[in-house]
Amino acid sequence: MGERLLTVDGLSTHFFTYAGVVKAVNGVSFTLDRKETLGIVGESGSGKTVAALSLMRLIPDPPGKIVEGSLMLGDRDLRKLSDEEIRQVRGNDIAMIFQDPMTSLNPVLKIGNQIAEAIILHQDKGKGEAWKMAAELLDRVGIPDAEKRVNQYPFEFSGGMRQRAMIAMAISCNPDILIADEPTTALDVTIQAQIIDVIEEMQQAYESGVILITHDLGVVAEIADKVMVMYGGRTVEYGGIDEIFYNPHHPYTWGLLGSLPRLDQTEKTRLTPIKGQPPDLIALPSGCPFVGRCLYERPTCRNQWPALEIVGPEHGVNCWIPEDERREVRASLPHFQEYAK
Amino acid sequence: MITYIVRRLFQLVIVLIGVTIITFLIMFAIPGDPARQLAGKNATPERIAAIRLQLGLNRSLPVQYVKFVGRLAHGDLGESYQLQKPVLQMIWENAPNTIQLALAAVLIELLGIPLGIYSALRQYTFWDTTLTTAALIIWGIPVFVLGLFMQWFFGLKLNLLPLIGAGDNVLWIIPANWNSFASLILPAVTLGLIEVAYISYMQRASMLEVIRSDYIRTARAKGLSERKVVTKHAFKNAVIPVMTIAGIDLGALMGGAILTETVFARPGIGLMIYQAIGARDLPVVAGGVLFATLVYVFANLFVDLGYAWVDPRIRLEG
Amino acid sequence: MAERDTSGSQVTQDLTISTVSELDLIEDKYSGRKPLGLWADTWRRLKRNHLAVVGMCIIIVFLAVGMTEEIASFTPKGYLAPYNPNAVNYALSPKGLGSPPSWSHPFGTDYLGRDVFSRVLVATRISMLVGVIAVAIALIIGLILGPISGYYGGWVDSVIMRTADVFFAFPYILFVLLIMTVLGPGLWNVFIAIGILGWATYARLNRGSVLSVKAMEYVEAARAQGASDLRIIFRHVLPNTMAPVYVAIAMGIGGAIVTEAALSFLGIGIQPPNASWGKMIADYLSYLAAGSWWMLTFPSVFLVITVFGFISFGNGLRDATDPKLKE
Repeated sequence: MGERLLTVDGLSTHFFTYAGVVKAVNGVSFTLDRKETLGIVGESGSGKTVAALSLMRLIPDPPGKIVEGSLMLGDRDLRKLSDEEIRQVRGNDIAMIFQDPMTSLNPVLKIGNQIAEAIILHQDKGKGEAWKMAAELLDRVGIPDAEKRVNQYPFEFSGGMRQRAMIAMAISCNPDILIADEPTTALDVTIQAQIIDVIEEMQQAYESGVILITHDLGVVAEIADKVMVMYGGRTVEYGGIDEIFYNPHHPYTWGLLGSLPRLDQTEKTRLTPIKGQPPDLIALPSGCPFVGRCLYERPTCRNQWPALEIVGPEHGVNCWIPEDERREVRASLPHFQEYAK
Repeated sequence: MITYIVRRLFQLVIVLIGVTIITFLIMFAIPGDPARQLAGKNATPERIAAIRLQLGLNRSLPVQYVKFVGRLAHGDLGESYQLQKPVLQMIWENAPNTIQLALAAVLIELLGIPLGIYSALRQYTFWDTTLTTAALIIWGIPVFVLGLFMQWFFGLKLNLLPLIGAGDNVLWIIPANWNSFASLILPAVTLGLIEVAYISYMQRASMLEVIRSDYIRTARAKGLSERKVVTKHAFKNAVIPVMTIAGIDLGALMGGAILTETVFARPGIGLMIYQAIGARDLPVVAGGVLFATLVYVFANLFVDLGYAWVDPRIRLEG
Repeated sequence: MAERDTSGSQVTQDLTISTVSELDLIEDKYSGRKPLGLWADTWRRLKRNHLAVVGMCIIIVFLAVGMTEEIASFTPKGYLAPYNPNAVNYALSPKGLGSPPSWSHPFGTDYLGRDVFSRVLVATRISMLVGVIAVAIALIIGLILGPISGYYGGWVDSVIMRTADVFFAFPYILFVLLIMTVLGPGLWNVFIAIGILGWATYARLNRGSVLSVKAMEYVEAARAQGASDLRIIFRHVLPNTMAPVYVAIAMGIGGAIVTEAALSFLGIGIQPPNASWGKMIADYLSYLAAGSWWMLTFPSVFLVITVFGFISFGNGLRDATDPKLKE
């Protein structure tokens, strides 16, 4: 793969509330290379969005704070940048596409204005030129009649069109890193694939690294090169896309894969949802956050966080279950029996 | 926009019909003899009989209503039994001072917008807490109580400003000289201060909601400076709902103006109504209320059309 | 913001934009805590809001004083205050200007030598009574018309809601004045005038809530089981839509107390021997210029504190029950 763009090491982001400290992200580490796509997977509240916002230092403070870890963008430490410097990074080096296109665009400003302002800010272009570029970008992300559309307001766009406009805005300054936070969740199923295609296309064209945050393993399977699985603010497993899908080691990953619909589904491999509630991030156990929902938990799980165990090339897992036992249990799960064959 | 205007005007017509019906019912359909009520307690039997004939009180209610509206359309609001003067003429004489006071209070009220925005942007700080607490306390002070203490402190103790009355105007509502302006200050500040408190509280809430919204996060993610985020992205969105609220609150402002005028013995619609209440001069009270209501309804219309024009969602979609 | 009529003009009279606590939102999102039910969750959020808690304490104290005096009014003595609020004592009012606060008369005495503290306490009863009863009248009318309007829709809805529009079109206090001019002064007329004019707020709130709940599944289920319309409205729909109504009640009582004070100030509200804070203010205002500040100040302070209590509690309740928070 290409050059290393981003190295995150031991990132912890907490929110300080009346009820206690919400440990939204707890010691998360990952890297991103040029042209690479990292999928961050987890359910709502697992800390994936907070981790992404931390990269751009967009956590509202108070009550949120990045309490630990280093965030290296190339050789720059994002945590040490001044406010002015981090603003230069936002939109220019790292850009973000948000989940809900209905609420993520300013309702009272024209689409063109909202795209052009980033160009004017980061690329030293005049207003006229920036608007022209905005129209070109809209055209590029597949919005027909872009010359006219650029003068319209968000409410005149459909959901899918708005998300395309968001993508145009994000790529307007040719960022090294593109973060897409659940970019398809709020959209119709028919539109979802199109949006993913656009993101992929733009990645190719601009040679960016992409961080795709989603709870949908199907989307990840489509475009990610590697996957990080988060649960309760922690990374429970990470690895290359094939490793995660065909050689998963964490019970939570098994659960996620077990709840993924598949074309070759048979009666035996019916969807099995993960039972139980997501954890209370204010009262996390000192050990693995998955306790209580994990079917294979043991006494140590509750009290101690397991060390990272390398189980393959670029593949790590944090779990107390011994490796051979894990393979054994996995082989007995209906969902993985076909892999075993 | 045109659809919106048409719909809004249609609504206005319905409200006007309703307002006249209710005023009519209060004046004519109340228990007892409306002619006696309208004539006042000292009227002679001949006068009562004359009024009864003149108003067509022997007809059915709908006919009476149509006649009532017909008289309104000709500007005939009846006659004050106390002063033997047409009510319309009294309103015409008293309106400028009241409108002057209300406008001055609206100008002061607008101070609430920057205060609220400041408070929201400094959330959780000492100044935010202080401003919010002060706003809640002042919001609840009855306007006449505040007026009495303002009058006592600035007028009587410090002897800075006139205690009571109003001065001459030019161009209908512009104070003609310093004295006239000075006599406006205390009533306007009294009325305006309470509105400032209310508006700043609302503006703070509105700004907080906007500043946490997704599109503000998008703006920040673009790398815009906090100043630009606030002025370009947050300001308009945060002020539009507050302008709506301020428009609707004009009704409270009109009511407050009436009480303020009473406290400061300032000639105007309010003082006129107050004196008429004392004499149970119903045509004057009803005429005054109707006038204030019409001012409010039309002011509201303009505010609505104004924000419809500012907000592209209404301007373009209708 | 309170529900805004999409047709664009008149809105509920007590317009407030709620300020949801960011911390509550974060807590909602990240704590796996199960909701404890509407009231437990509301209380958990409310008690963090210092202003709302202060407001609630004020309300409790003044309601208690009002209720104690109400009960005492049925005893032979007729009051619980330290002195008879109506006992004239010219010895305590040299030159007819009352006497300033002292140990035996902490709020001083008025121009007739009556104890201001006792009068303020007894006036609490009338002021609170007006607030509670006037709002109760408005609430009952609104609770009947609002759900009917929302549930049946069509022309019933149009008639009721256009009427509400018209009620909103009058500047409130002026409308009350007009009615009071016709009805004449007196305690019951104050209840009626304020009560009758307040219904539109509650009707509109309930209508909006009913509309949003009407389509929900449990209402469908109740209908499928053959429950009558009335039963559905009052048994299944209303209890689930009351949060904004409670907020409006809190704000409404504060508003009614101010309105009564304004009426009494203008001389068409409460009549002697009853006294409310507004009536006392009207009686005493001319003595301020003569230097007898205590007569006017104490009833004013009580009035302002009480209204502040209702407003800050109402705002706090609105923030704590914001629909953005999970129930």
